[in-house]
Amino acid sequence: MKRSVCAIAAALAITLAAGATAGCSPSKPEAKKSGGTFTSIDANHAIDPQAPINPYAGKGNAFSGYNAMPLAFAKNHLTDHNQHFPGIAESWTVSSDGAEVTINIQPKAKWSDGTPVTSEDIKTSAAVAFSQGGSVFAITPGSTGALGEVTIVNEKTIKFTQAPGARNNTFLRSILAMWVLPKSVYGSQLPADFWDKIKAGAGTTDAAKAARDEITALGKKIITFGPQKDVSAGPFVLESLNASEAILTKNPNFFNADKIGPDKVRLRNYTGNEQIWNYLTAGELDTAPYTSTPTNVVEQILKVPGSRKITGLSQVSAALVFNQKYAPFDRVEVRQALAYLIDRSEVQKIGEPDSGKVAEHTSGLIEDAAKQWIGDPEVSKLNPYNVDKAKGEALLTQAGLTKKDGKWMLANGQPFTFKLQVPNGFSDWVAAGKNIASQLTNAGIAVEATTSADYAVYQKEIAEGKYAAGFWLIALGPSTYNAYARLYGGANGWSAFGGKLSHKLAGEGGNWIGGAETANIAGVGTLNPGELTYQLSQMPVDQAKETIIKLAKYTNEQLPGIQMWNYINVQFVNSTRYENFPPDNCECLRLTHGVWMQLGYIQPKKQP
Amino acid sequence: MKSLLWRLAGHLTRGLAMIWAVTTFTFFLIRLMPGDPVQVQYERLIALGMSPEQAESGTAMTYGFVPHGPVWQQYLDYIVGLAHLDLGVSVDSQGIPVADRVFGAMPWTVLLVLSGILVSFLIGVGLGVVAALKRGNVVGHSLSIAGSLLHGVPPFVIGILLTALFTRQWRWFPSGGIYDADLVAPGFYADFMADVAYHTILPASAFALASYGGWLLAMRSSVASVLGDDFLLAAELRGLTRWMRFRYLARNAILPLFTVLAISFGLVFGGAIFIERIFNYPGLGMLLFASIGARDFSMMSGSFLLITAAVIIANILADLLYSVIDPRVRRQT
Repeated sequence: MKRSVCAIAAALAITLAAGATAGCSPSKPEAKKSGGTFTSIDANHAIDPQAPINPYAGKGNAFSGYNAMPLAFAKNHLTDHNQHFPGIAESWTVSSDGAEVTINIQPKAKWSDGTPVTSEDIKTSAAVAFSQGGSVFAITPGSTGALGEVTIVNEKTIKFTQAPGARNNTFLRSILAMWVLPKSVYGSQLPADFWDKIKAGAGTTDAAKAARDEITALGKKIITFGPQKDVSAGPFVLESLNASEAILTKNPNFFNADKIGPDKVRLRNYTGNEQIWNYLTAGELDTAPYTSTPTNVVEQILKVPGSRKITGLSQVSAALVFNQKYAPFDRVEVRQALAYLIDRSEVQKIGEPDSGKVAEHTSGLIEDAAKQWIGDPEVSKLNPYNVDKAKGEALLTQAGLTKKDGKWMLANGQPFTFKLQVPNGFSDWVAAGKNIASQLTNAGIAVEATTSADYAVYQKEIAEGKYAAGFWLIALGPSTYNAYARLYGGANGWSAFGGKLSHKLAGEGGNWIGGAETANIAGVGTLNPGELTYQLSQMPVDQAKETIIKLAKYTNEQLPGIQMWNYINVQFVNSTRYENFPPDNCECLRLTHGVWMQLGYIQPKKQP
Repeated sequence: MKSLLWRLAGHLTRGLAMIWAVTTFTFFLIRLMPGDPVQVQYERLIALGMSPEQAESGTAMTYGFVPHGPVWQQYLDYIVGLAHLDLGVSVDSQGIPVADRVFGAMPWTVLLVLSGILVSFLIGVGLGVVAALKRGNVVGHSLSIAGSLLHGVPPFVIGILLTALFTRQWRWFPSGGIYDADLVAPGFYADFMADVAYHTILPASAFALASYGGWLLAMRSSVASVLGDDFLLAAELRGLTRWMRFRYLARNAILPLFTVLAISFGLVFGGAIFIERIFNYPGLGMLLFASIGARDFSMMSGSFLLITAAVIIANILADLLYSVIDPRVRRQT
């Protein structure tokens, strides 16, 4: 705040010739060193100079991979969500039942103030994570696979044990994703009997509720807390901050400091993709995170000297999803008919030509993950729904529709027409929606692509069941539970609470897809996809194949949505100032560029 | 003096009533907007395994109001907070007081818009006088046409044009930001001020270019009407110098523009949303834009409150100022 006041006072003086103010530092930052200043964007959030240096604050000035470190960074692995790059944890072991995780801390790990990172810091970090709730840190009676015990083995080794009850196969991933915080800073925020409160809160009595409320209140306090000065165990330390950028300097105490190329990092503020593209076309960024970029902008960016693309795996798929409350989408034949009538290849070329690849099958997973999980023979058994007008029309007829003067009519004599909703600002979805509308209108189904004012409106109204059809991101891997929960989770009526799965009717409790609770799948039998999905969250990864085959077949036949394209992770880098960027398909591409540096990438360009 | 104080008291009473009315109206208007981030947060906490009660309690603690609480209760809490000068906490930047964010962004907007207004005012008034005095020849016509054209071009078009020319075609200026934190630290020294000026020139120019035409046309019209007044003829007959006659002319012609200028200062706090966005200039305009996108109710309410209060205060000041600079008004009151 003081910095800001000084800045403004000085700035106003330029225009208004105002008098001097006291307390402003006249000193300039140190001159640049050989590693230079690396300029990029933090994809996680914009810069907020008022926010604390706290990774749990919504827009906190702790940047993952730079001055905020988890125990480990999740790899973008095709199928195994438990693959990680080391962070503060040098290594880890998991017990055979997955209930115990033992962490070995990097022996050379130190905070930027020179003190070592110890097991006490990790235990404090787990306490802070509990105050924020969620994942394995939920303090809810009967919650699945929550953290039970934290045991310090020695100064550099710590053990995490799941609470008794159902297993959670994301336990390791959740523990490793935990932010590591200094006890010297955050310890004072926690009451001495914090761990007793955690134990008390797991019960069902009034006293347990009171303990949970205390922890929730503590969570609010901690979310707004931040040290005056950054204490970082990462490769960088926050040096200065203004509303348009954050400057971080190299942390000499970082355990892997030798690998870090740049001396400083500048993270620029942004409010939308356009700003990132502006920076890129002005040649002001060394790297930029993934944004869905229109072709003409890609061309402009690539014209900038030194600019090029890095591409890799993206575990995300764009799908046209139906609200089955709206007739005739309650008929599976109709959904299948549309799959035959829509040329997905054309949709992808128009909607996502640069960072998309047409989805060959609708399975609920991206194509490569489906092949890896269930194998080529099983994938080849899935219906690709290649464009086939005759099959589409036959299915519509089978569903009771009739064709009259080139237009499809419902059984009640009304024309088959619907609105396909897309959010304003999502240029790829808007273009794709218009193309689908055009294709289906040509096939005799009058479809109008309409846009919601913005994504907030879209999210709210789609959840309220106001749209008959719209775009939806699915196949969010590598966790197959996460992928299938997009189709068979809360949006389709299934929710798990206290270790029990329940299903709500279409239109109730956020169930806007409104699919059947069970369906008979050819050659497999009657399946409950919500139940199968829930099982995926608990079963060991190596036993999941059969369940995934069932879910892929269910999704392919029932078509709650039609997968249009699988995204490709496209990132822009500029090699004018730095070189040695990660190769295409690196498992680090989804991670921040601070993590790339920790892996030895991004080095100052050698002068010829 | 007594009448002035009564006038001031009347203005303040009406101003406070107006602020309350606008605050109430915007409070409910904002909540009519579709999209609710508090509800999204509540559902996120449920999805993370919290019970509905825990999620509700967690959301209420973070944002200061219960997601399913009645709107009138939220309104009451908001007004009570305002009475204690508490604008609430941001929904988007969890837990950050709205006042911190608004007052953190405000000075940059003041710098940008104020410098833009002053530059455009000085240029517009100067050229307006020339356009009026030379209204019969090509100089006067050219200035009037240029003023009309630029007055009709939206500021964002000029902003995009300047960006394309001076950050892409010729990379003379940065494409965004307020100063280069890697080169200068905030302080009261030439390098820092020069860097701030360097970052402000393009957005302020866009603002000035888009608005000087209005001043030019208003000044031209005002000068033209004063030129026909008897007191100027009398001054000429009395043998006053040309400079003295120009001073008579300018002082009388500029009076109506001062009122508009004072009101413009009130609009400073509204920011220049499009210009700030194009130049990624983190002032109030961009804060308001981002808070609308994120449905940050508290931030929107805080921003609107500041804009309303600023406009009303500027109007009061304009009214008082007018009586100070125009003796005729002072005598009437």
